[in-house]
Amino acid sequence: MVSTETKAKLPPSSHPYAEVIHRLEAGGAMLPDTPENLMQIIGLYKAYAVPMDFYWRDLLYIAEREFLNPLPFFKYFLPKEYLDLHNHYAGDDADLRIWRGEATAHPELLAFMQRGETFKMPRLFHHLWHDRINMEFAEMCMRAMLWHRGMGGQFDPYLDSEEYKANADRAIKAYFKGNPVMLGIHQMFPDLFLEQCRQMSYYSNLGLFWEIMAPVFFEMSDLYDEGKMTSVPEAMNFLVNGIFAIAGRPIYHHVYIRGECYEIIPKSKGFMWLYEAALPYVEAVFYRTAPFRGTKSYNAQAKQVPPEQKDFHYGILYADVFPVGTAGIPPTLLMQDMLHFLPPYLVEYYQKHCRGESDMLIQLGVSFQRSMFCVTSAVIQALRQALLYPLDDPNPKHLQANRAFFEQQMDRFLRPEARLTDIQRQEYR
Amino acid sequence: MLSVLIAVPIISALFIGLLSGKSTAAQIRQMTLVIVSFLGLWTIWLFSQFNPAVTGMQFTEFMPWIRIVGLDYSLGVDGLSLPLLGLNALLTWIAVYSVAYSGERPRLYYSLILLTNAGMTGAFIAQNLLLFFLFYELLLIPLYLLIAIWGSSEKQGYASMKFLIYTAISGILIFAAFLSIALLSSSGSFAYNPQAAQGLSQTTQLILLTVLLVGFGIKMPLIPLHTWLPDAYVAASPPIAILLGGVLAKLGTYGLIRFGLGLFPDTWAIVAPGLAIIGAITAVYGALAAIAQKDIKRMVAYSSIGHMGYILLGAAAATPLSLLGVVLQMVSHGIILALLFHLIGVIEAKVGTRDLDSLNGLMNPIRGLPLMSSLLVLGGMASAGIPGLVGFVAEFLILQGSFSAFPIPTLVCIICSGLTAVYFVTLINRTCFGKLDNATAYYPRVQWSERTPALILSALTLLLGIQPNWLTHWSEPTTNVMVTAVPDKSGPPGPPLPGGEASLAFHKLMDADSTNGLQPTKSPAR
Repeated sequence: MVSTETKAKLPPSSHPYAEVIHRLEAGGAMLPDTPENLMQIIGLYKAYAVPMDFYWRDLLYIAEREFLNPLPFFKYFLPKEYLDLHNHYAGDDADLRIWRGEATAHPELLAFMQRGETFKMPRLFHHLWHDRINMEFAEMCMRAMLWHRGMGGQFDPYLDSEEYKANADRAIKAYFKGNPVMLGIHQMFPDLFLEQCRQMSYYSNLGLFWEIMAPVFFEMSDLYDEGKMTSVPEAMNFLVNGIFAIAGRPIYHHVYIRGECYEIIPKSKGFMWLYEAALPYVEAVFYRTAPFRGTKSYNAQAKQVPPEQKDFHYGILYADVFPVGTAGIPPTLLMQDMLHFLPPYLVEYYQKHCRGESDMLIQLGVSFQRSMFCVTSAVIQALRQALLYPLDDPNPKHLQANRAFFEQQMDRFLRPEARLTDIQRQEYR
Repeated sequence: MLSVLIAVPIISALFIGLLSGKSTAAQIRQMTLVIVSFLGLWTIWLFSQFNPAVTGMQFTEFMPWIRIVGLDYSLGVDGLSLPLLGLNALLTWIAVYSVAYSGERPRLYYSLILLTNAGMTGAFIAQNLLLFFLFYELLLIPLYLLIAIWGSSEKQGYASMKFLIYTAISGILIFAAFLSIALLSSSGSFAYNPQAAQGLSQTTQLILLTVLLVGFGIKMPLIPLHTWLPDAYVAASPPIAILLGGVLAKLGTYGLIRFGLGLFPDTWAIVAPGLAIIGAITAVYGALAAIAQKDIKRMVAYSSIGHMGYILLGAAAATPLSLLGVVLQMVSHGIILALLFHLIGVIEAKVGTRDLDSLNGLMNPIRGLPLMSSLLVLGGMASAGIPGLVGFVAEFLILQGSFSAFPIPTLVCIICSGLTAVYFVTLINRTCFGKLDNATAYYPRVQWSERTPALILSALTLLLGIQPNWLTHWSEPTTNVMVTAVPDKSGPPGPPLPGGEASLAFHKLMDADSTNGLQPTKSPAR
């Protein structure tokens, strides 16, 4: 349990983000603890969780069923089987019940899938009109994780192992059984479908990651509505506790081909949610991603992007939400999704500021940025708790080690694009 | 009929000025709006009663006043002054409506605007030189106070004083010329009479015309008498800048034509080449100075100087087409300048700056000023003379009408038309396009009271650009008569116009019975 009260035993930090570091050392988050901030982040968690409920189901559907379909025109047409798929962390039969709600698809999601922004019509028309959940956003998150890779953990190196190749080969051949053309292509270019398979493994990874995050966010929203979540540190601590509670959740990739299950990445490998999904996801999507297409040249001589991938800084923590186009993954898609599921108190709040309804997308995008800083704070605190010392440790050397860790984390926000300074101000909308 | 346009604003100004201090600014604004709306409707009614075919003065009114000094209350309107009356009514309404005045002294503010309106109306319709001068001077103090008290610049005191001194000198020079005309002419009166100066020697006419040129040249303004304008326009608040640039400057051009060309047609032909050169220089200077500006309001102010150069060129050429173009340019420039100043005023009010280096991305539909930016693009295009908008028709008429008389100055002005596009593209590119900085983009919404004037002016810019005949047919006969009095200038005569008229009726240009050689070529019979 992260303590929120600790006596400072160290002199003040001299880091440019000293105030934030002191707040972290006191058990807080990077985001200042104000009622307005709390309202924004919880509202956005709820608005994010509803489309996320679709994302994780569809990601698993694509990873497990679509797999290597060369013409996946209907990959976003989630079958009822996956809409009814029980979330392992919600519902009565949950492995670990995080959310007290139902295990199947959220009712707001189902309602939106029926009507979209327009009216009830066949799903194909909704799809063609792009009046649907923007699943492309989820795929871009997955692709960011795939492109960056090498972010630590065992999962990623396993994708290059012989065991994985053998499992993948078996699944590929089973999938294309009776298709001489595809099998011939696989024979000629074995790396082609292997790489596609790795991509599918990341689909599964991300799907399993978000399967947990969705009920976490739903529960946080319910607690806030019930008046049981009253501060930003409390929200952060809920995330930290959740991270530790589900850290060991297995990450795997199973493919179902003609009724048979092929374990490309079996559960027995022991890949854990925290190290193989959560941390790479935060690193790839919150910090790194990639510049939005067309905004930067990848030409090495142009020197517009960092030479090292680890120095990429185009994630949500650095994004200029407005005008869109500077964030690596365009938040517009997610922002549009979240707009559909904003809680009424947030809608009312946004209507009173800036341009009201006209720029609600931007306002919620900025709130979303605040909420992701809170999530990042939880990850940082969780890492500190796992690898270093408690915040109320009596040993100053241990506290110094904690501080060094926090300062190292804050160093990543020293570049001008980082939004850490902006989120300290309430006027940043 | 015409007296209503003078009496109502003057009496209203006195009435508003004497209202109790309990009246709020909003109430006084409402009252003023009702008055200027009435004046606008009255002007529209005058338009409906006006007979364009009659070339002389209409709706004349005469009353002996202070006979001992030669001052008579003599009013009349013709095709030259009628469009300017309309412009004055429209822009006064825009000036009152566009800004909800919220400062101190609203009674004084709106009284001064009404007095300014009365002064400009009176000057446009006065048929007595002394009466004209009276109304001309009536404008001085109200505008000085409007700039000095309600200006939006640190230099408003300096700018207002400069404006006062320059226009006072202008008034003195004009008065001196009028006095000389009255004393030296055979009629011996201040009544406006195109024949009044005919009996004077050419040297005398030349001197008097020069004095008038300098006097009205200050008002227009022309190079090198222009230095008051950028400071005054920039220092003035947007509604006052609209009145200054949209109407007051037209008083200078109106005076030049009415009293310069109208009273001294023979001498006009002598000074015309010099005027054409000054016009070209003014156009070049205005354009180049505008390109160098970083303050967008100052850029538009210099642009205004440049456009006055076109007017002087057209007046110097004094062909039927060019003079018609001059009238059209006066109105179109007034509309376009009003639009630009209004939009710049809104941008400054919302964004907080007019600096070209700071403004960016205003076209952004979510947090920018998309409508204002779009109309700014329209206004810039109109000022640059893009076809389809009223600015093009006016410039085209002037340039085509002047080319036969003064080809080289006309060519220079054509080049300046391109330079206009340079600075307006710069303005639009920097302010409207690019990335809007979210750190500063928390601009208040544009209200409908701010949008409406821009939409009205933009609609006029479009409509009159597509159908300029709606404007020119009031003035054609009058300008034709004025031109016939001017002796033939040097240079080859231009092509005779169909029906002997500077007509924009294209069916006449393509009339097979026309003797002007503009018949469509016929294919040989197969």
